[in-house]
Amino acid sequence: MNAPILRLQNLKKSFAETEIIRGVELDIFQGERHAIIGPNGAGKSTLFHLISGNLKPTSGEIFFNALRIEELAPQEINRRGLARSFQITNIFPKLTVFENLRLAVMRRHGLHYTFWRMLSKVPLVGHETDQLLERVRLKARSKTLAGELSYSEQRALEIAMTLACDPLLILLDEPMAGMSHEETDYMVGLIRELTAGRTLIIVEHDMDVVFSLSDRISVLVYGQVLATGTPEQIRNDPKVREAYLGEEVGA
Amino acid sequence: MKSMRFWLLVGATLLFLMPLVHSQSLLNASIQMLIAALFACAFNLLCGQGGMLSFGHAAYFGVGTFATLHAMKAMGGVGLLPTPLMPLAGAVAGLAFGIIAGWFATKRSGTYFAMITLALAELLHALAPHLKSLFGGESGVSTMRMPAWGISFGNSTQLYYLTLVWVLTSLGLLYLFTHTPLGRLTFGLRENSHRLRFLGYDVHHLRVLIFAISAMFSGIAGGLQAVCNESANYVVFESHLSALVVLNAYIGGVSVFLGPALGAALMTFFGYAVSDLSRSWLLYQGALFVVVMMFLPTGLTGLISSWNESKAQYGLVRLLPVAILWLVAVLLLAVSSVFLVEFLQRMFSQDYRALALANPAVPWPAITLFGRPWFPGGATTWLTPILIFFAGCWMVRLAKDRWQALLDDADVDASLSEATGNGVKS
Repeated sequence: MNAPILRLQNLKKSFAETEIIRGVELDIFQGERHAIIGPNGAGKSTLFHLISGNLKPTSGEIFFNALRIEELAPQEINRRGLARSFQITNIFPKLTVFENLRLAVMRRHGLHYTFWRMLSKVPLVGHETDQLLERVRLKARSKTLAGELSYSEQRALEIAMTLACDPLLILLDEPMAGMSHEETDYMVGLIRELTAGRTLIIVEHDMDVVFSLSDRISVLVYGQVLATGTPEQIRNDPKVREAYLGEEVGA
Repeated sequence: MKSMRFWLLVGATLLFLMPLVHSQSLLNASIQMLIAALFACAFNLLCGQGGMLSFGHAAYFGVGTFATLHAMKAMGGVGLLPTPLMPLAGAVAGLAFGIIAGWFATKRSGTYFAMITLALAELLHALAPHLKSLFGGESGVSTMRMPAWGISFGNSTQLYYLTLVWVLTSLGLLYLFTHTPLGRLTFGLRENSHRLRFLGYDVHHLRVLIFAISAMFSGIAGGLQAVCNESANYVVFESHLSALVVLNAYIGGVSVFLGPALGAALMTFFGYAVSDLSRSWLLYQGALFVVVMMFLPTGLTGLISSWNESKAQYGLVRLLPVAILWLVAVLLLAVSSVFLVEFLQRMFSQDYRALALANPAVPWPAITLFGRPWFPGGATTWLTPILIFFAGCWMVRLAKDRWQALLDDADVDASLSEATGNGVKS
């Protein structure tokens, strides 16, 4: 395999006395779709917060493209090409869908401190925003307020916002949570299509999604990686079956 | 959009024609209204658009005022900075001070941000009397406006036009700003600054920039004040002014670009008109703030837009009776309150007590109010406002019922049309 794009080394995070992440070791390779699964409270979301800079680790190292990022602010990590979505939809609810996405697209064009030019005079930004909206099938909703979208549309918008900065590595935190079967199928297709050529780490509870979408899977239990491997390896790993999957895989 | 432009054009034309019809004092009040309008809009860039409620905006206004006064003194209105361009000094000072203060204040958000801005403004207010060379102590700093470009700037009309050009230009720039990338990001900051971080934006830098731009335009407003008054002392740093701009902005409505300008202009005019008529005008002003915030949380512009929405939905013919009922109800309630306040104010005034003591034969002489004598002991004196008050309450009920009936009718209409629609389909 090629060089890891993301490497976590002995990563630890405690809140006061409570250790949530207890020495995580993980390599994510360029171009793979990697799922992180684990029971509730295993620390999956915390791990995402650590990688994306939302939280600072207590100890340990995070290498992104061979450079340490664990001390960087979220925006600096983002500018190096790591984008994320959130478990709880995190958009600009009172702005239009177009506006939401345009804010995300604008960054890459380095326009954020520009106050001497009208944004409408930068057609490239609007054009790219429209293209992205089309790719997530929200073009028809572009003038709607983001807060008025359906739940799955909001999730799609959030994924589009995550993609807008053309990231190397994408973290998606439970993108399918709370979706119906049809919506989930649709979203899996969308994610597969949109993340082609990029590296993806996804936290997801829906095992059908996890096993069909990912190249490799890591199982996180009590803040430690219990096992990492292909879906087949994970399915057949006795430790995993015992600790987490149990009946679900057997059935 | 078209009607919007039309009204803006009408408004601007009226503003330019104002000196033709006005008295001197009204013209001076108009200058104050314009300055207050610009200040409120500058404040609203931070508050309404950026979601950062500053409780210390008088500081940036005041810094602009003093910078302009010193510039006027130093340059004498000649050379690089002639009198009409003097507010630029206020802009530069506001910007510079805004960057410094904003750097600290925007480290935090929400309540903590508000507290820091308040503390910084209070710091300046406490420090100003001691910095005599800068702020001139009690007597303040005063200077003279010099003629420039062949204009003397000696009368109110010329000052009015100077202020008008500055205010309209500044408001235009502030409006254009909302369409720039940074201006769009300002709304993003208000909506969800956390998300912006994960889109790669340095939220602190953005906030400092917006804070500084808001402070700069506040400084222009302060500079205009300096040019018009030719003097100022540290009173401009009082928290009263900081509070006033917050209230003006909210009364006008912070979610509409010109809302704060409208609120500030109206409240300044209210102060001008009512302070001559009544000693209790500050009480009325305060009561007005409370009433607007309680019943019109989106401000006056919110009222206008909900009127437009209702008009589109129900039609003018059905809406007008309800509106008139509301108007009458509000008027009746206002009249009864004003009557009571004015009467009590006169009754408890020192003049009245002196009058009563001077003539022991008539312990409670009549008080003239609205061109009629009223006896404090007379039943009509108290019954009149109470009756008007209850009439007002009754009107409120009528208006509410009519409004409810309108809503119910609309519901029935909607379900009827739905039913017939279904009927056609099946």
